[in-house]
Amino acid sequence: MRDLSFYPRLALTNLKNNRQTYYPYLLTCILCVMTFYTVLSISVNSSFESLPSAAWVQMVMIQGVFIISIFSAILIFYTNGFLIRRRKRELGLYNILGMEKRHVGRMMLFETLFTALFAIASGLLLGIVFSRVMFLILLRMLHLGSSIAFQLSPAVLIVTAVLFAVIFLFTLLSNLRQVRLANPVELLHGGQVGEREPRTSWPTAIAGVLCLGGGYAIAVTVKSPAAAILLFFLAVMLVIAGTYALFTAGSIALLKTLRKNKKFYYRPKPFIAVSGLIYRMKQNAKGLASICILSTMVILTIATTLSLYAGQEGMLDREFGREVTVSARPSEGGLTEEEVDALVDETLAEAGVTAIHRNTYRYTTFMAQKQDGLLSPQQDLGPAAPVLSLTVLPLEDYNRMAGQNRTLAPGQALVFTDGTPYGSGTVTLGQDTWYVAEELDSFPLAERTKAALFSSYTGECYIVLPTAEEVLTLSHLYGGNAGDQLRRACTFDLEGDDAAKTSFSGSLQEKLLPLPGTSMNSVHLVREYWYSLYGGFFFLGVFLGALFMMATALIIYYKQLSEGFEDRGRFLILQQVGMSQKEVRSTIRSQILMVFFLPLAVALLHTAFAFPVMRTILTAFGLSDLVLFFLCTAGTALVFSLLYFATYSLTARTYYKLVGHTI
Amino acid sequence: MPLLDVRNLKKIYATRFGGVQVQALADVSFSVEQGEYVAIMGESGAGKTTLLNILAALDKPTSGEVLLRGKNIVRIPDKQLSAFRREHLGFVFQDFNLLDTFSVKDNILLPLVLSRKAVPEMEQRLDPIAAKLGITDILPKFPYEISGGQKQRAAVARALITQPELVLADEPTGALDSKASGQLLRLLDEINAAGQTILLVTHSTRAASHAGRVLFIKDGEVFHQLYRGSASNEAMFQRISDTLTALATGGDFS
Repeated sequence: MRDLSFYPRLALTNLKNNRQTYYPYLLTCILCVMTFYTVLSISVNSSFESLPSAAWVQMVMIQGVFIISIFSAILIFYTNGFLIRRRKRELGLYNILGMEKRHVGRMMLFETLFTALFAIASGLLLGIVFSRVMFLILLRMLHLGSSIAFQLSPAVLIVTAVLFAVIFLFTLLSNLRQVRLANPVELLHGGQVGEREPRTSWPTAIAGVLCLGGGYAIAVTVKSPAAAILLFFLAVMLVIAGTYALFTAGSIALLKTLRKNKKFYYRPKPFIAVSGLIYRMKQNAKGLASICILSTMVILTIATTLSLYAGQEGMLDREFGREVTVSARPSEGGLTEEEVDALVDETLAEAGVTAIHRNTYRYTTFMAQKQDGLLSPQQDLGPAAPVLSLTVLPLEDYNRMAGQNRTLAPGQALVFTDGTPYGSGTVTLGQDTWYVAEELDSFPLAERTKAALFSSYTGECYIVLPTAEEVLTLSHLYGGNAGDQLRRACTFDLEGDDAAKTSFSGSLQEKLLPLPGTSMNSVHLVREYWYSLYGGFFFLGVFLGALFMMATALIIYYKQLSEGFEDRGRFLILQQVGMSQKEVRSTIRSQILMVFFLPLAVALLHTAFAFPVMRTILTAFGLSDLVLFFLCTAGTALVFSLLYFATYSLTARTYYKLVGHTI
Repeated sequence: MPLLDVRNLKKIYATRFGGVQVQALADVSFSVEQGEYVAIMGESGAGKTTLLNILAALDKPTSGEVLLRGKNIVRIPDKQLSAFRREHLGFVFQDFNLLDTFSVKDNILLPLVLSRKAVPEMEQRLDPIAAKLGITDILPKFPYEISGGQKQRAAVARALITQPELVLADEPTGALDSKASGQLLRLLDEINAAGQTILLVTHSTRAASHAGRVLFIKDGEVFHQLYRGSASNEAMFQRISDTLTALATGGDFS
């Protein structure tokens, strides 16, 4: 008699009996499916394509889809590996009870099948609900309004299901391989092979110190954004390598050195703690290092994306002295001042907005590196010299805009910077030198920002020269102007409702597009673009952060479980040898705290060292508000630490339950 | 005054959900003199382990007293129990109970470390014991690197290093092969000959035959006892087996 339902029923019973380790695994799988589905369905939503500004979001999202799929696969594999190691004994028992390996295989097939079906089905179901909510949140964050329809795409469902089916298939194959390779006796003893004491690998430990030191050194010494972006990846790699090396070899080397110090070591607390930690670190070093790296990633990802998102208005304010700038080249058939004014007036009337703070001035602009009074448009002063965006204009135009009546002797100049003060007595450009008659406190085209809070490596610098001829010469030399007249800029702010301001900017841009030698810049257009870009970044940052956090929580949980199983016997012995329950308890607590909070402490240290380099990189994005970035980072780190602690407390209960029987 | 005086020990376990009560010890009384080597024998379920746990102050009796040098260990407050156990009792277990996180040396020193002894004193105590037990060479090794017999000798060293009044041994030969068992039993003989009081709980007739006196426990009571007198180990072995046979066949007619 052969009962067809035998293996499925056996599989179900197994899943239920192993629920302590199995349910968290199932939950992980469901959450992975859900996250993947949500991000994928948002990234391929076709109604996004009608919005040019949202193309960025989709590009960012598609990157996210790749990261999430790879990460899900790793996470599911890791967890599955943990489960199968725990179950080796059980599998060995089946073997001894007369089940052949192919029978065990069949049982595992059903187990995986049930897991896969349940995880994919519930993940998709939750994903459908969750992605709707997320979609609405994303629209709000991107300032897109709720005009875009949410779509339920069968293709996305199928892609998600297939991807995870493949991942589960691979876990099944790896489990089968484990069963096939092992013999029953090995399987029976699988859980309790005598662990050897780890060897000290001084070279690895020293390499770890060097890597970490190198990474940190790069992070704190890099000054220019360009170098920071180039070296950031290297620094990250060094820090990751250093973390792994130090957690594995460094910790053992340190503990063994402590053990050699007899006076320190042969006292009750260090005695138990040091020897226990040597043993623990061997098994846990990689897991703890992974937790540390993941934690650092979560904090940095969320902190930077949040800063960019929250700092947008500040960045826009700083980038734009006036909301709209229209620039034209009167020579070589470009528009004259009157033509530009007429065009602007006509468009203002059409859009129903009015212009205020309107000014027109002649200018030339170019970038230059600054070292003391020397400005180098060739930017050949080395990576340490800050790069300034120079705007040079004649005194006459300055006086008109500022409503003043200043005079400058030949060879004198007025200087204004929006960040770090100019701080030198001369302005030298090529062969020419001007003496700074006065460093201005305010300027009609820009606002002075709190210098100390901003990076001194980028910034705007305005130079006022006595005559228009001098400015024209500079524009020929460095400003890319071959004509006999200076460019004119018409700047103004807008009054009216937000939608009208944006439509004004859009239609003016369209009108200017076919006209030679003109350009315009509007905060309202850039804002739209930035919100979609940084909103997308932040959205994805939170998503990835949540996924990393989940992985961290899961690894912590499984670590607690395996620690609990191992420590149960050890603490019983300690009691028999004459340790009181109270001592045992406090020893457990301090060891567990040390093991689980070491990764968090190191992650916070990494974050602190990453802060300067991240800040430098963010200035390249235009975000130079140090206080904002600091608050975002500190806030993220704080929230993360709280979540970490909550995870720890929840999972620690499992541990105490396991060892609790004995104490 | 005897070194250890056990008076009318009674232990009743209530099952987890109340209701059924199991009597592990009915009424156990015996005493052990300074320098004696006493074996306690009995079948599984006779109450040996319960008795040992109570003597070790790991468990409390329902009623009765255990006096070690006149001090009732049942009454010692929980806070002082661990220190008491550490300083007055030594333990040897069937499965050695060595910690795999410590080297052999550190396993032996563990009780001294817990008592906060100074490092020179620890080493001073360790050297002669290690030499006597023949484990000087394996001191830096770890438990998973040495044989069962060596492990048990390390465990004996750990039990002796605190210079306890009483060594409690629970089936010390249970996990050893016959050669290692023989070595260990001879060692215990020597230790006893040097004046150490030993209380051995065992199934093994051979292990018990090394003792100066054998107590037989059945159904939670001391059923019988044998004194060695001047008998050889072999004669003692014979008398113990005869008693066990009588116990198994004669004691159970009801």
